[in-house]
Amino acid sequence: MRIAEVIGRVTLSRAHPSLKGSRFLIALPMPLEALVEGSVKRGEEVITYDNLGAGVGALIGLSEGREAANPFGKTKTPIDAYCACLIDKLYF
Amino acid sequence: MFVARVTGSVVATQKLASMTGHKLLTVEPYRVDEKSRDRLVPTGRTFVVVDTLGAGIDEMVLICQGSSARLTPETEKLPIDAVIIGLVDTVDIGGKTIFSNRNNDQS
Amino acid sequence: MQLGRVIGTATSTVKHPTFQGERLLVVQLELASGNPDGEPVLAFDRLGAGRGDRVLVTNDGLALQEQLGRTTPGRWSVMGLPDHG
Repeated sequence: MRIAEVIGRVTLSRAHPSLKGSRFLIALPMPLEALVEGSVKRGEEVITYDNLGAGVGALIGLSEGREAANPFGKTKTPIDAYCACLIDKLYF
Repeated sequence: MFVARVTGSVVATQKLASMTGHKLLTVEPYRVDEKSRDRLVPTGRTFVVVDTLGAGIDEMVLICQGSSARLTPETEKLPIDAVIIGLVDTVDIGGKTIFSNRNNDQS
Repeated sequence: MQLGRVIGTATSTVKHPTFQGERLLVVQLELASGNPDGEPVLAFDRLGAGRGDRVLVTNDGLALQEQLGRTTPGRWSVMGLPDHG
């Protein structure tokens, strides 16, 4: 997981049947200088699945790759990015 | 996942038997403009993706890539790494709509 | 596996159920030069690593699934603390 900032969302007019009603967020991964020094620099955007209700401005744990589909268990779901947690606070 | 615009289709008469009957499209990934964050901008890259939803040319779509692309009943046995999982309706940044399928002025 | 430095810790209340009770570290992976390799990652830790520690982390999702359960979306975990950090 990387730490990412939520900046918006994507809505769909049609979705794969396994993803009906799903919520998708636009997230920007946070580089070291953004986390530690408050830099405005961000990584390349990722569209992520979300069922935790993350809002704009939230920092999230962004799970990527095949692990992002693990929460769906045996139900085959084509997801490569998953909002795994909402970060309350980071301690440096 | 990433947002991309459908730019064309790929027809291959000679192909792996498992790919028969599957529609292949070329797409160009788009991203939110880094500085202004008020529009989608093209990235100049291109990918070939499987389409199970009936996307049309110029349509903005959501793509799942990597091994997760095989996690659908339609694609589970295919040698593919990217699939269209949705047709984009809107893209909102901070509550403001910066792209809408209904008045597509991106093309 | 990769080597990295613990730069901090993260707390989370709203999270995937498999994360319950687990420690999350913010780890900056390093290049051979010691410079940062990509964005920092959130890594699970059951070894008690702390800020400033050098850690050996694995991105073997299966290792983490054995600890947290098969449905966990987590991937990185601390598998050791090198003797000569």
